[in-house]
Amino acid sequence: MTTPIIQINNLQKRFGEYQALQGLSLAVHQGEILALLGPNGAGKTTTINCLLGFLQPDAGEITIAGVNPQLDVVTARQHLAYIPEQVALYPRLTGLENLAYFSKVASIDKTDDEFRTLLAEVKLPSHAVDKPVATYSKGMRQKVGIAIALAKQAKALILDEPTSGLDPSASHEFSQLIQSLAKQGVAILMATHDLYRAQEDAHRVAIINQGQLVDTLLFEQLKEVQLESVYLKHIKVGA
Amino acid sequence: MLQSTFKKEWLDTKRQGQTLWLSGIAVLLLLLACVTGFKSHQSYQQAVNEVSQSEQLRWLNQGEKGPHSAAHYGIYVVKPTTPLAALDDGLQAYQGNVLRLEAHIRNDSLFRSAQDNVPLSRFGSLSPAFVLQVLLPLLIILIGYPLLAREREQGTLKQLLAAGASPAKLFFAKCAVLFTLSCLFLLPVALFLLYSQTASEAPYTLRNALFLLSYLIYLLLWALITTTLSSLFPTARRALITLLTIWAFATLLLPKLAMNIATTLHPQGSGQAFQAKLESEVYTDARLDAIEKFKQQTLAQYGVSQVADLPFDYAGAQLQFGEQYADKIFDRLFKARLEQLEAQSQSYQLAGLLTPFIAVQTLSMATAATDFSHQQSFENAAEQHRRLMQEVLNFNQRDHGHKAQGHYTAGKELWQQIPEFSYQYPRFTHYLPHYAISLISLAFWLIVLVLLSLFAIKKLRLEEQR
Repeated sequence: MTTPIIQINNLQKRFGEYQALQGLSLAVHQGEILALLGPNGAGKTTTINCLLGFLQPDAGEITIAGVNPQLDVVTARQHLAYIPEQVALYPRLTGLENLAYFSKVASIDKTDDEFRTLLAEVKLPSHAVDKPVATYSKGMRQKVGIAIALAKQAKALILDEPTSGLDPSASHEFSQLIQSLAKQGVAILMATHDLYRAQEDAHRVAIINQGQLVDTLLFEQLKEVQLESVYLKHIKVGA
Repeated sequence: MLQSTFKKEWLDTKRQGQTLWLSGIAVLLLLLACVTGFKSHQSYQQAVNEVSQSEQLRWLNQGEKGPHSAAHYGIYVVKPTTPLAALDDGLQAYQGNVLRLEAHIRNDSLFRSAQDNVPLSRFGSLSPAFVLQVLLPLLIILIGYPLLAREREQGTLKQLLAAGASPAKLFFAKCAVLFTLSCLFLLPVALFLLYSQTASEAPYTLRNALFLLSYLIYLLLWALITTTLSSLFPTARRALITLLTIWAFATLLLPKLAMNIATTLHPQGSGQAFQAKLESEVYTDARLDAIEKFKQQTLAQYGVSQVADLPFDYAGAQLQFGEQYADKIFDRLFKARLEQLEAQSQSYQLAGLLTPFIAVQTLSMATAATDFSHQQSFENAAEQHRRLMQEVLNFNQRDHGHKAQGHYTAGKELWQQIPEFSYQYPRFTHYLPHYAISLISLAFWLIVLVLLSLFAIKKLRLEEQR
């Protein structure tokens, strides 16, 4: 196994009386897709916010490609790309202009042609490239989000409910895109409720509940078990 | 980052349309205000030249008459103006522009155009200074309030930060966009100053530079506060409401309140009451006693028993004594009034620590020479001229009056001995100490808002924790 790109050790975070994370430890390696499953309030978003450097954990350690975001958030973010459930883009700007702006603020300098190539790579229809994002479907916005990650050549990609609200065809297309990114060596952490997508796409599945890792299933195990029953068993135990 | 943020904001703004409309209206208003200000300044300047010339001719061609009759005939002098007065007419409309110089009395300025206006016209006056001080901050708010707050609302802020955008660079790029846009509105003003600088016979370089610099700092302050609050508030709507409240307080309510407090702390009677007080303090029994004493001293000095035996015309000597006697009273009363007005001005300026509007308003009027201090300089110079005039006329009466058979009259030769009143304002550095509080206030606000910006940037770093 290679050195983990995303490494989380004994992460703890409390909001007042509520203990959101209780010693969570995870690792995502180069070229690996890790699906992070858990019910609402399990700690998925808190974990992502700690990874992005938006939250300071109370204890524990995170490294992104060897950089601790608590100590150097700017460098850590350079290695990361983040695609939320709703990819937030500027509605009056075109897909191309959005990609160019998000890339340039991250100090990535590319020509318009290079940005167009990236949008073609993520299969954004060519007729949409120069249209305002306000006219895009959710799937098309996700594609622009992935193009932003591609432009950045990020070592790690964090996805928060990426397939929620996508139609099956868009979801399938999305799945192919992240598989392709993983093949290029990107470590992908995908927080999701979509058990089907997790089972289809992930190399490993981590189930968390009440801020703790309760089970990890390897790719080989995923072929043999019914993920839904394993998931429900852990969640009921947790409850 | 700066360039890409400029490009993005420009594209966004262009496609939104609303901001372009607002900016267009503001530029139009400012151009209109500049043109009307320039026109009114031109006509005022023309009037100053015409009145000065015609007054001098009227004085020189008044014909043969007694020097004291000429002293009562008097002349009118007009307050000079600077090109900047076209942009900020300040207190000009309230202070009066013309002074009548005559025997025995120090007059107040005349022709206060504000007195001729109907009360409502004050709200309708659209001077460039009003646009710059009141309307431009409003425009900066209307354009800038969503800069970061809307990014937060639509989720792009989190994504920008996650993409690796530096919060400080993002904040300052947004602020720079807003400030640059507001500087564009200053362009008509800068062009006007450039024109006046090249066209004017006496360029007011320091005044023009300080005028522009004050407004640049003022607009930067509004750009900073708008970006800061847009960054601190969770929604654009809340940022807008707060900014509009601050704008109303800073540009409308606090200046009015500060002025009321200043006039309450240092009360000042009306001009008419003051003029009445001058006359009542001068024309007293004490004055008659002093004149009688002067007469006795003069008779004793020349060893004669009646004024007819003096080797000069006693009437001229007594007139000059009367002038000097009154001048001492004028000096005392005007000094007291001046101190009171200066105290008012300093109290008002002190309120600049509560709103930068007061600081920039003070500095704007000061550089345009349309404030109280410049009015005072002009009135003092005019008074010195009046005294010189009286001295020349009275001494002429004293020295030549007794030689005449019958009523003594003088002519153009005497009138020419009095130099034409030609007043130029001292260099601006002369006035600077008066405006120390306003200069400090601007610096204070700059420091406060830079610190607030740094606080906002710190909050941006922990964006998700709000």
